[in-house]
Amino acid sequence: MTLKEVYNSRSVEEVVGLLGEYGSEAKLISGGTDIVIELKNKKITPKILIDISKIEELKKIKEDENHIILGSGVTFTEITENPLFKGNLHGLHKACKMVGSPQIRNKGTIGGNIANGSSAADSIPPLIALGAIIKICSIEGTREIPLEDYYINKLKSNEIITEIKFEKLNKNQNLNFAKLGLRKALAISRLSIASLIELNEEGLIENVTISSGALGKYPMREKEVEEYLINKEINETTIEEAITVLQNSMDERLKGRSTLPYKRVAVSSILRENLKEFIKTRTEVRAW
Amino acid sequence: MKKIGKGIGLSYYGTGYGNGFPDVSRAIIKLLPAGRIGIYCGVTEVGQGAKTSMRQIGAEVLDIDIENIDLVHEDTSLMPDSGTAAATRQTYNTGNAIKIACENMKKELLEKAKIELNLNSTSGLTLEKGEVILSFFPQKRISYKKLSEIYYNDVIIEAKGEFTAQTTEMDKETGQGAPYWPYTFNACAVEVEVDTETGIVNILKSTFAQDAGRAVNPMLLEGQMDGGFAMGLGYTLFEDLNLDKGIMKNNRFSKYLIPTAMDMVDINNIIVEDPEPTAPYGAKGIGEPVTIPIAPAILNAIYDAVGVRIKELPVTPEKLIKHLRGCKENR
Repeated sequence: MTLKEVYNSRSVEEVVGLLGEYGSEAKLISGGTDIVIELKNKKITPKILIDISKIEELKKIKEDENHIILGSGVTFTEITENPLFKGNLHGLHKACKMVGSPQIRNKGTIGGNIANGSSAADSIPPLIALGAIIKICSIEGTREIPLEDYYINKLKSNEIITEIKFEKLNKNQNLNFAKLGLRKALAISRLSIASLIELNEEGLIENVTISSGALGKYPMREKEVEEYLINKEINETTIEEAITVLQNSMDERLKGRSTLPYKRVAVSSILRENLKEFIKTRTEVRAW
Repeated sequence: MKKIGKGIGLSYYGTGYGNGFPDVSRAIIKLLPAGRIGIYCGVTEVGQGAKTSMRQIGAEVLDIDIENIDLVHEDTSLMPDSGTAAATRQTYNTGNAIKIACENMKKELLEKAKIELNLNSTSGLTLEKGEVILSFFPQKRISYKKLSEIYYNDVIIEAKGEFTAQTTEMDKETGQGAPYWPYTFNACAVEVEVDTETGIVNILKSTFAQDAGRAVNPMLLEGQMDGGFAMGLGYTLFEDLNLDKGIMKNNRFSKYLIPTAMDMVDINNIIVEDPEPTAPYGAKGIGEPVTIPIAPAILNAIYDAVGVRIKELPVTPEKLIKHLRGCKENR
């Protein structure tokens, strides 16, 4: 199939109409940081390209009383420059800051990071840890699913992701992120860990979600680690125990994979970095 | 766990083709309209700064601002061959050819000035800021510009220069002899931090000393040192073709990693100047040498930090972890 037409869309409604008409013959393009390479390598050969990068409603960062809502066309740079994502949402800021290079962060979008579906996508583990919900539109209507389920319930060819929504954090919650890349910039994640931790008044873990990148076919929750950490205090001993729990889950999940021997060692450094950052941010919060 | 280590790498490097191979550089100098000086010479600019440093050498001999020198070095129909930009030879070999050619040009300029100024001899004539001046009676002077107005078209003032490096062939049977001359020397020290769980080697700082004989252009020289360090760093820690039965698996820059600006450190560069008597103003080449001591310095620092000797490059995190685990199991 050769490319016949490029639509420069101005509204989600228009995109939904076009996707309804062309379905699998069409591809959406926003920042293009993944899709342009696939087009060039002829890995995908759509007949229709729909440019969604100029749709204003997809480019907004909104908040209501309880939620933060990211338009799917929000770029990584827009996230890293927004003060909303500093403080206890620092983990999302950090993950977006570690995406590629300034050029890629200027073009690449949060929706694209989800839609591309890479297991190593930097922004996904923190969003999964936040329990983010994604809004998907098509000619058949609108549906909302947890981002966590996206990878087993992927987009249909007539759908577009329009929003990513998550609850605002309270002062006892902190989001952290750590990533292993093979160099300091422009590095595809070898593995990453995000954690959202809420402490109770005794300093024990009341609620926790841990999610990982590149430790499986797609980014996912690490439920065994969560179960282990609940009601525990975070200290040297529990951190090391949590690492062992994660390594055991990996042994099961990645059995026979050539990358397992390295990743099971490396994961200790990354999970430890993540949880130590949590301790550090808590201490700083208290110091204030 | 993160462990710190320090290491040093030293190297000495024979510049030029060496081994008795004819190593010849040539240059032609011409007085151009408006008193500009043209250096015609096949010195290839490959990013090392030939365009600047070769003009600097000409400017020094002919006492003229570098802005008034045109280097013609890309159109082969206009210039003599000056050998390859290889073997770290251009500064020494072609620098010498340009210096000799400019000294010959100086004689020509003095001769023509003698005629135009009605003098008995060239004795006492000197070059100063684009003019020929009689030193004890400076009112007697003529500018290059004036000379270029008198000598133009087919009577232009020009001179040639040629330099052949002295090298000797090794004994074919024994491999003994002195195949290179001159040599250049350097030393690099690095401090690294090794993460014993991820295998990531982080360069913390470096001091790098390079003998240049004479630094024609210290800023360009430091640029070469930084660049050489970056290439050495990539060679040591990142660059992996990942050959599988002769097929290159890392055939794109998303997999074949080279250091980014973020992976580089600010190097404490030290330029050592010990002029080489046979070199133009004492300047020797440093192009290739600046990459050589980096890998041994980093490998020594890794050994100092974690006690393993890696003998196959690059030291990827995965490989380093494998070695570290190997050590643990052997104990």
